[in-house]
Amino acid sequence: MSGLIVKDFLILRKTLRSYLLILAIYVAVAFAGYWSSSFVGGFMMVMVALLPMNTFAYDKQAKWDVYGLSLPVGRTKTVAARYLAVLIMFAASAALTIVLGAVMNLAGRMEEELGEYLFACALCIVIAMLVNAMMLPFLYKFGPERARIMFFGVIGVIALVVVVVLIPLGGLEWLNSLDESALEQAAALPAAAVAAGLVLLALSFLLSRHFYGNQDV
Amino acid sequence: MTNCIEIKGLVKEYKTFTLGPIDLKVPGGSILGLIGENGAGKTTLIKSMLGITRPTAGAVKLLGTNPDRAKEDIGIVLDDCFFSEYLRVRDVETVLCRVFKSWDKGLYRDYLDKFGLSGAKNIKELSRGMRMKLSLAAALAHRPRLLLLDEATAGLDPVVREEILDEFLAFVSDEDHAILISSHITSDLEKVADYIAYLHQGKLLLCDEKDRLLESYGRLVCAREELEQVDRGYLVSVRKSQYSTEALIRRKADFKRLYPKLAVEPVTLDELMVFVVKGEKA
Repeated sequence: MSGLIVKDFLILRKTLRSYLLILAIYVAVAFAGYWSSSFVGGFMMVMVALLPMNTFAYDKQAKWDVYGLSLPVGRTKTVAARYLAVLIMFAASAALTIVLGAVMNLAGRMEEELGEYLFACALCIVIAMLVNAMMLPFLYKFGPERARIMFFGVIGVIALVVVVVLIPLGGLEWLNSLDESALEQAAALPAAAVAAGLVLLALSFLLSRHFYGNQDV
Repeated sequence: MTNCIEIKGLVKEYKTFTLGPIDLKVPGGSILGLIGENGAGKTTLIKSMLGITRPTAGAVKLLGTNPDRAKEDIGIVLDDCFFSEYLRVRDVETVLCRVFKSWDKGLYRDYLDKFGLSGAKNIKELSRGMRMKLSLAAALAHRPRLLLLDEATAGLDPVVREEILDEFLAFVSDEDHAILISSHITSDLEKVADYIAYLHQGKLLLCDEKDRLLESYGRLVCAREELEQVDRGYLVSVRKSQYSTEALIRRKADFKRLYPKLAVEPVTLDELMVFVVKGEKA
């Protein structure tokens, strides 16, 4: 199984290099004081959230699935390897974000409080996890081209429901009740949100395994 | 001699195509050549054997066990290189040495040297022939006992094909090893295959020892009037053109005894396929 995880990182090598280059530029801009550190951290998580979609596209291009299923790995472990690769990507980018924040803070280049920065980054991680928990089963079921369209369609529908139904009905009023002090006190919130993200990813894994297990490649 | 491949009643149904039922056995120490026109079901058969596509019915035993258990000892080459263009040749080893317990790094590098492949080269830069060589090196480097090859020699020049065929012959010199190779290059199969299986529109039309097959069938070239005189029981199919009449005949030795004046030539696998697909049923 570790071979498949390594494979995912190797095929993303070039993409990861360009991401790091872009990140270096953004960090420099943040260091110069033009952008907030939270923006850079959030941007990084957005980039990482889209990486799994690339792995599916590259696999599809190489017809890897046919070969992959001839290997002594099995369908469940194949799906598990992909989810573990995704988790490693998230963990690595989260670690990088924390280190980045700490360096900026120590250098006195951070406009916001370190706690605020970490909270914003944790929120971005959870969003990236949610996006992938939703997207990965789509990718297994429909393949990268169709899944991409369908996934953005679903996101569009959710956004429409929020804008057209929930907001007019006052369904998001509770957000306004969260004042800054409440957020500061909720130190456990990021950890709980990340834990919830992990649970969703676990459920997503079961769904993906189901789809991939019954698929003719 | 044990069977490395045993297939019983394998069926794979699609909306517009059905493969099978297929019954097939490949003994250890032998090569089975799988022939058939495009879309005959060769790739579907290989995929179904490995569980890449789920068979509708039937049972498959590879190396005496179920396909999932046997995969550690199977090398596979499909009709294309399945490694991402974003990988380098040496990355294939980085991945597969973690997949196969028996991966032999030295052997992989030996094959790379033999095939003139540099580890630092990007797969994107390789020609189709070089990609096929890479696939072969990857299929052989974990010392498999069974090779499943789908058009593995396609796109290779004759010199390299000859080298690879020698490699296959050396591979099956071990009685524990076997190869199933599907190919449109039937001359390759005539050189190395011990058995020939002919798939046509999803059905196994012929499956026999190659030598027996080529000896028992023949190509009759004669005038139309002469063909009219021939016992229909010997005729498999007939091809008529403005200038000649040809027929594929079975039981060649008996036929020659019965019709000593008619010219019966040896038939090649290519001709056999063309007769079956293009010829009129006698």
